[in-house]
Amino acid sequence: MTTVIYTAHDGTETIVEGTPGVSIMETALRNGVPGIVGECGGSMSCATCHVFVSDETAAIAGEMSELEDEMLDGTAVEREERSRLSCQIKLIEGETYRVTTPSEQV
Amino acid sequence: MATDITTAPASTGRCPVDHGQFGAASHDASGDSAEDHYGYEPFDMTDPFPSYERLRHHAPVYFDERIGYWVVTRYDDVKGVFDDWETFSSENAQAPVRPRSEGAKKIMDEGGFTAYSGLSARVPPEHTRIRAIAQRAFTPRRFKVLEPTIRENTIAALDAMLASPDATGDFLTDIAYDIPTITILTLLGVDPAMVPTYKRWSDSRAAMTWGDLTDEEQLPHARNLVEYWQECIQLVVRAHRDGGDSLVSDLVRAQEDGAEISDHEIASLCYSLLFAGHETTTTLIANSARVLLSHREQWERLLEDQKLIPGAIDEVLRYSGSILAWRRRALKDAEIGGVAVPKGADILLVMGSANRDEAVFENPDEFDITRPDARSHLSFGYGIHYCLGNQLAKLQAKIVLEETIARAPQLRLVEGAEISFGENLSFRAPTSVPVTWKA
Repeated sequence: MTTVIYTAHDGTETIVEGTPGVSIMETALRNGVPGIVGECGGSMSCATCHVFVSDETAAIAGEMSELEDEMLDGTAVEREERSRLSCQIKLIEGETYRVTTPSEQV
Repeated sequence: MATDITTAPASTGRCPVDHGQFGAASHDASGDSAEDHYGYEPFDMTDPFPSYERLRHHAPVYFDERIGYWVVTRYDDVKGVFDDWETFSSENAQAPVRPRSEGAKKIMDEGGFTAYSGLSARVPPEHTRIRAIAQRAFTPRRFKVLEPTIRENTIAALDAMLASPDATGDFLTDIAYDIPTITILTLLGVDPAMVPTYKRWSDSRAAMTWGDLTDEEQLPHARNLVEYWQECIQLVVRAHRDGGDSLVSDLVRAQEDGAEISDHEIASLCYSLLFAGHETTTTLIANSARVLLSHREQWERLLEDQKLIPGAIDEVLRYSGSILAWRRRALKDAEIGGVAVPKGADILLVMGSANRDEAVFENPDEFDITRPDARSHLSFGYGIHYCLGNQLAKLQAKIVLEETIARAPQLRLVEGAEISFGENLSFRAPTSVPVTWKA
């Protein structure tokens, strides 16, 4: 089982079963999880799928590319150390992911 | 081009949509029947929106034999095709809608014209490879650096326009032409003095690819495209020779450091960016002034609260996008909105219609700068080809609105001035935006 736990800015938790290979952004859109916009559809061009990942998630989410790092300079809510673009994190079979969504994406 | 497209439903009178829902009487009214394509005229950009609405209701996916394209007008269908790049290829996105004439072909062959597409009509994996390299130039970190210069240029252009003794100007040529064009030329290391030249070449590119030109009309445009392409090649040659501080020299250096990108691909990117990088932003800026000033109460709201500007720009993009239709090709037999389209079918995705789909947007024909979901518009496309310059375009439109509001809050459209739009399959660009600030 692959699981994503989304915590909204107000603390509301949404737990979704994900499909390996699909991104955290797309998993949110497919399941109607609020707090992620994903305006460009995952091509790293809009920075509207910004999330804060937990330490455990950071460890399994893979390295951030230089491009993602630069795109994070344009998020609606100021980036933090644990900021990622959720379109760039593809789910791995059997893992559990924890992300918090910012108060604003646009 | 598919050969089986001649069996397409619309051309044999078998429309994919039930004709029973609109009675025979409605066939009398112009634009109301399948025979007259519900009033849709592919190249007429004057006011295509009423015909889009009829198409969404009566024939949301139909084959238009006049252009040889399946026309798709509902939001979910347009977005779905954009998203499914494995079934629907962008390979036809830069193909001439009207075949090139023999004369034009000769000019282009003799002139060594070998450009096709920088990115928009490339497909994975080569698209993925080149986009990853090009995208580095369009991140917020990069263009935040440009902001002060864009603002300076905007202020200078506004001051020049506002110095006009008769207190009238053309927001298109006085403001919208220069601002984004100077930005992209500067990014690519081109002298801003060449703005008029690049505008001439860009007009030719838009006309040759998406226009409805006669054989004779194609000739001067063909010459312009040869000049344009040769200049793109020279940009790469010069970057190799002189280095420098521009996107072209960055790409050349990346290549020398082992990035997998050829000189022809870099020149093609220049060919792409030196068109796409300003053409549609010029239109966005012109449309921002045109649409906001023709909805005075919305303009007044912006004067009171500048925080509404970003939302207003997205609403302009939704309500009056710079590109209303974009192309794809089916790589296999497929289905769009329940309608079967054959392998090889050419498809026209009408974002201008999707953006006014009542299934998605409430009161879609109303222009409302505080619309909460304006950003769901598809004017930048969706998925792997999503407009690379979306944020830079919006940033420039925002700067222009901020500075215009600060300097000319009393700006208005010249009364009675007819604003027309050039004929084109995809681009809807006003040919002038006459403004005045007379007391």
